[in-house]
Formats: sequence, C-alpha cells, structure tokens
Amino acid sequence: MGLLSLLKKLRSNPEQELRILLLGLDNAGKTTLLKSLASEDVSHITPTQGFNIKSVQSEGFKLNVWDIGGQRKIRPYWRNYFENTDVLIYVIDSADRKRFDETGEELSELLAEEKLMGVPVLIFANKQDLMNSARASEIAEGLNLHTIRDRPWNIQACSALNGEGVKDGLNWISKNIQRKKK
Amino acid sequence: MKLKRFLLRYYPPGIILEYEQQNVLKTKSIDLLDLKPNTNVQELVEEIAKKERLITNSRKEQVAQLIIKLQQKISQPDDRYFYLFKVLRAHILPLTNVGFNKSGSCFITGSYDRTCKVWDTASGEELHTLDGHRNVVYAIGFNNPYGDKIATGSFDKTCKLWSTESGKCFHTFKGHNSEIVCLSFNPQSTMLATGSMDNSAKLWDIETGVELSTLTGHSAEIISIGFNTKGDQVITGSFDHTVSVWDVNSGERIHSLIGHKAEISSAQFNWDCSMIITGSMDRTCKIWDAGSGQCMGVLVGHEDEVLDVVFDYTGQYIATASADCTARIYNAFTHELISKLEGHQGEISKITFNPQGTRVITASADKTARIWDPFTGDCKQILEGHTDEIFSCAFNYEGNTIITGSKDNTCRIWR
Repeated sequence: MGLLSLLKKLRSNPEQELRILLLGLDNAGKTTLLKSLASEDVSHITPTQGFNIKSVQSEGFKLNVWDIGGQRKIRPYWRNYFENTDVLIYVIDSADRKRFDETGEELSELLAEEKLMGVPVLIFANKQDLMNSARASEIAEGLNLHTIRDRPWNIQACSALNGEGVKDGLNWISKNIQRKKK
Repeated sequence: MKLKRFLLRYYPPGIILEYEQQNVLKTKSIDLLDLKPNTNVQELVEEIAKKERLITNSRKEQVAQLIIKLQQKISQPDDRYFYLFKVLRAHILPLTNVGFNKSGSCFITGSYDRTCKVWDTASGEELHTLDGHRNVVYAIGFNNPYGDKIATGSFDKTCKLWSTESGKCFHTFKGHNSEIVCLSFNPQSTMLATGSMDNSAKLWDIETGVELSTLTGHSAEIISIGFNTKGDQVITGSFDHTVSVWDVNSGERIHSLIGHKAEISSAQFNWDCSMIITGSMDRTCKIWDAGSGQCMGVLVGHEDEVLDVVFDYTGQYIATASADCTARIYNAFTHELISKLEGHQGEISKITFNPQGTRVITASADKTARIWDPFTGDCKQILEGHTDEIFSCAFNYEGNTIITGSKDNTCRIWR
C-alpha cells in the first residue's frame, strides 16, 4: 500500500467498488473490526496513529474500507477522508457507557457534514462480548437514532473480536447500496 | 561571443560555459555523460574543441584540468555506511512525500496532517511549518537548483508557493477541480506544473501566480508530471494507461504514448531529453524515443505492478520498483537487465539513484529502506527502525545523507 495505491483507492469507481469510511472514538474497535472484515488476526492491535485501508469482497462488491484513528487530537482530520464516501460505518464501544455522550456528539457532527450528506450510515454497537455492554436498542434510543431521516441507517450489535454480527452489518450495506443504485 | 568563465557540474558530469554574446551573459553546457575515470583526457579535449568554438587552443589546458577534476570526483570509492542520525516525530499523521534542496542543507516533509514542514538537515531542527492547506499535503518540491521556493500540492485542490527562507505563502494556485497529486518546477524556476485527479494538468507562472495553460486530453487521473532538462516540454502519466508529452509554450500535446495495458505509475525524461521511461501497473516498463514518440523497447520481468521507475542522473541506467518486492536495474540503451535487487519482504513503492549513480535506495512496505549496488545487485545496507510502511526516500546531492518518510508519522535522517 504505497502512496500510489492510496491514489488508486481514492478514485471513485461507482460500478463495483465502494468507498467505506470507518469512524468512531478511540478504543471503539475500528481497527479490530477492519481486520475482522478482512479475516485477519485481531489479537494484537495498537491505537491507530494514522489510518489503515483494506479491500474486502462482499456480495459482488469490492469494499475499500478506510479506518481512521479516533483519538481526540486526530479527529479534526477525519474530514480529510470524507470525499467520495459511499457508506459511513460508525463504531461504538457498547461497554464504555461514560462516553456515550461524547460518541453521540461526534456522530451528530458527522451527520451534519455537507460532504457526507445522504451517505448511508451503519452503526456497529461493538464489544457485545463484554458482560456490561449496552444492548443495541438501548444505544439507538440513547443516541436518538430514530430522528435520522435524511439517509438510510442501521444499528447492528456485534463483536469485532469474535466476529459475531459483523457479516450481518456487511449484508445491510450490500442491500442498501443495491437499492440505492437501482 | 566571448568566453567569460567555466563552471563545473559534478552530477551529471559536465562543464558549463559562461559567455558573452552582444553584451548579454549566457550559459551553455557541455555534457560529459559518458565520462569514465579512465577516459583519455587529451582526446576528449580535442573532441570538445572540435564541436565547441568557444574552446580555443589557449583554453584547452583549462578544460583538461576540469575533466581531471570530474574524473577524480567520479572515481571516489563509495563504501559509506549510513547511521541513523535523527528520528523526527515530524507530524501527527502519516507522511506523504519528502524532498531535499540541492545542497541538502534542508529538506521538506508533506503529511496527512495538512502541513508541510521545512527541516534543517544538520541539526534536525524544524525551520518552518507551512500551514494553510485544508486537506492532505501530498505533492511537494523545491525549485532546485535554487531552492528558495517550495511548492505544495494538496487534496484541497489547491497548490501553494512558499518562501523557503521565511515560510510565507507567495501564491495559492486555484483552478483544479480535484486533488493535486503531482507537481514539478521547470529547471529555470519560472513555472510550476501541477497534475490532478481531475484529469488535467496546469502550468502556473511563479512570479505572478497566474495560470498559463491547462493541459487537457487525458481521460483519467494524472499522477506523474515532470519537465525535460531544457524546460520546453512537460510529460504527464495517467491512470488512463497513456503518457502525454506537451509543448510548454503552446500547451499543445506533441505525443501521446500509447501501449501500456494498465494505469501508468511513473513517467520521466532522461537527462539529454532523448528518451522517456514509463512504468505501469501492467507489470512492464517501456522506453520511448522522445523525438518521435515511438516505443523503443519493453522491460518485462516484474511479476506484479511496477510502482516506480527512474533514470540515473546521466540517463544511462534505469531502475524499476515493483509490488513483487523486487527492483531491477537496466541499461537504458541496450535494455539489458543488469541486476535484480532482491530481499524486501513487501512491495517497493519508491526507488532512486544517488546523484553519483553508484547506489540505489528503495522504500518498502516492509518498513525498511535498503541501499543497493546497482551493478552487482548486492544489498549494501538495510535501514531499519520505522514502525510502519515507508512511503518515500531521497538522497541529497552529495549522496551522503538519506531521508525516509513513513506512515508511522516520523521522518528519519541517515548519514
């Protein structure tokens, strides 16, 4: 993945390739999710200082997934990556109840971004493998997801660590994009 | 015509004549690209004098001395070992490209954090942060050999021109409709060329900041751009699988180099502007006659995409870098494979010769940069320490300092 491959992935190729942006607070599990999508080992993952990109095949689509670091100091740079986004995946640590407000604020700011207008959003309620995690319905209510009316959205409970629910999320993406393209 | 003085150019070897014609001071260069340590000096002087009227009998001895000096320079053995001199925690997001000024006294780094930084090579101190772009700073460059200006091309669709000395922005060039991903100054430093994901290239006047022309014709993104040594032609490489050569004055396309079967990754003129080398995702490189635009040869052998290709300073050798984890060195005239550079464990995204032509450096996704002897293919050294992919690398003019830029947000100086 040199600089040239980055440019190749940056191009919008609306026919078969989708550009997917993976965002969320630090420690939400974005990189673990990315690796899980690509069926890679998820045992040793460190905080992302920049970004990771992987291409994943799903239902006839090539998904180019951009995983951007979530630490507060690099969140202002998320907008570097907004252009040509087909789907936004937003990852939430369902066990970190103290930060539900913070994650909700970041999400609503993203949904207000002009460059992400109308872009379908999939919210992963991650870390369902932890005992104290909130259920997806609880999070949906807490974040007022039902007020989103300007785009398709979905919340999916998952565990990036053991892979549960991840595939279901991808299926939702494939279905919604197909519907959009028709 | 009256000869005023001689100037020496080490890389590529040459003698510059400074002369007066109708009271105007002019220069011309005698290229000595074939000069070897054992070239017969007297014969060469005679040959030069035959072609160049400014070299009169009384000047021959001077020319001979200059040639001997050049020979001494190129016969110096190069067994230098590079040590890590400094790790610069340069940016808070990954680096894109890096570049030296001609003397190597300072260098620049571009980054996803939307800035370009200017560094002092000797101390590793940050001299300036060029702040103002609203997105990734991707393409950067000094106006070498002068080095008093820096250009930055950004994903924010603009290009900016800065003062190296003060860090102030002279101009913001607006007009492209998509990300700017490549740029180049002309050798005279009067003009800047930019290539964009909007499928066009533009020429800008450095003094006034005005757009001079738009080069349209490519049907996909332009990802490589460069002037020839004379500065009268521009070459563009595109994801549309073709390469174009443009006339700088008219903005007209002179040649369309068609033949590659996939995206172009890199395109470059050689020093004397006689040849063009192109690298492609179709796993091959092609050599073209710059005058006729005809393909003269295809370099096959790589088992995956060719990601970078360059001439050495004299234009006699070609280095290719590939996603197949190897690099190759070819003779530019015979197209013969000279060596294979094997050892990297990840794709090689960047390759470059030192100005002397005695070493090659490669930057790889395996987190190392490696130094090679281009003639034997031996790996002379592995530069280890980066914790993520290396995107870019560069030698200074003397060939005694290297900088590497990585996705790990740092830049390293080796010397």
